[in-house]
Amino acid sequence: MIGSLPSFDRLVAELSKLPGIGGKTATRLAFHLLRASREDSQALAEAVLEMRQKVRFCSNCFHVTEADPCTICTDPARDETRICIVQEPQDLLAIERSHAFRGRYHVLHGVLSPLDGIGPDDLKIAPLLNRLKREPVEEILLATNFTVEGEATALYLSGLVKPLGVRLTRLAHGIPTGSDLEYIDAATVQQAVDSRREY
Amino acid sequence: MAQLSSGAALILRHIDYGEADRIVTFLTPEQGLMKGFARAARKSRKRFGASLEPFSRVNLSWSEGRGALCSLRDAELIDARTALRADLRCFALACYGVELTEIVLHDASSQPEIYLLLNAYLDHLVTATDTETARLLFEVRLVQLLGYIPHLLHCSDCFGPLGTDLVVFDVSRGGSLCDLCSGGHPPLRVQAGTLGSLARSLRTPVDRFAGFRFGETTLSEGRHLIDSVLALTLSHQPKSLDLIDKIRLPPGP
Ligand SMILES: [Zn+2]
Ligand SMILES: [Zn+2]
Repeated sequence: MIGSLPSFDRLVAELSKLPGIGGKTATRLAFHLLRASREDSQALAEAVLEMRQKVRFCSNCFHVTEADPCTICTDPARDETRICIVQEPQDLLAIERSHAFRGRYHVLHGVLSPLDGIGPDDLKIAPLLNRLKREPVEEILLATNFTVEGEATALYLSGLVKPLGVRLTRLAHGIPTGSDLEYIDAATVQQAVDSRREY
Repeated sequence: MAQLSSGAALILRHIDYGEADRIVTFLTPEQGLMKGFARAARKSRKRFGASLEPFSRVNLSWSEGRGALCSLRDAELIDARTALRADLRCFALACYGVELTEIVLHDASSQPEIYLLLNAYLDHLVTATDTETARLLFEVRLVQLLGYIPHLLHCSDCFGPLGTDLVVFDVSRGGSLCDLCSGGHPPLRVQAGTLGSLARSLRTPVDRFAGFRFGETTLSEGRHLIDSVLALTLSHQPKSLDLIDKIRLPPGP
């Protein structure tokens, strides 16, 4: 805190709210902005405001988008019979980077987390069920994380979707590409053995 | 050099911190409830792997860190209890057990019996067919270990004998009440048999779950009874009850 510079302190306080940024880093960034050109600061401030103004969630799949529905939902080249369910927009981007999936998505914006009081109603599950009523979906790929909560969420969704007669798949789970078995933790090896396939 | 400690631990939960780190809540037999900082636990799987997932039993080493947070050095996974992820009801009940433990233990004090109890409960849920009995057993034993168990088999007012049929139970007055002491409008009536079953279960080792099976009456009356005790004991209602109530699935596989 630099008591005589309330505006500087305000910026430091705002920057400290960002993930992974503590007071020290925030102060360093603020000094950097102080030394940078006026145009750079202006551009940063405008970029933040413009992003907040334009980016919202797709009303169909809840991915982040500037156009609603998003470009994935409206792309005719996408396979509309497959929906991949992910926890967060970042997870969608990770699957897109792989180029392995050409269907559409549904972003839950979280996972079941009973200890934090996050239940099914706090996730985008009801809109998903509505999509299943109006879209010609044949397969749902569950791509929630392989954490305790991610697995429980996949389980919960399977309970809802299975009775609808839609094919349910789950991301495979095991040894990362390019790694030595010797260095893999026991839980991962166990999963890899459990989900072995014909070869 | 910070002092290094190590030993068995149960991972209760973790929250992400910053880009790559995690703060982990865990339970140890000797030091009770603790929080530790796991540097780079989200990005690198080298040091911690999957060991810091909730419900895991691990061998943990840590050193004293800043303030209340210790610094986690290393974790060796003993049992990930992955089966708890394969059944939603077991998952929810495991969360509930963890949350209850967290609510009742707020500090790092030695709690070897509660450690044993939670560990056995989680182990049992993995294979449990009767999850309602497991839950009730866990609750009454936890309440007993905390010293809050109400009077079950005699009147909590006059210490006299109870009726042989329906017994009035009022946790705000200490538990069971005889006909003479009860008076007025009793909040809860339970069968003498229910009180007997609960009292008997408390005379068994805290880590024994296998082989117990409460009857339907004990389960439903015991539920009301323990709910009234917990309502008086806990600082707040466990959040995981929401999910338990939502998934009224048939118990067990
Ligand atoms: Zn969309
Ligand atoms: Zn009496």
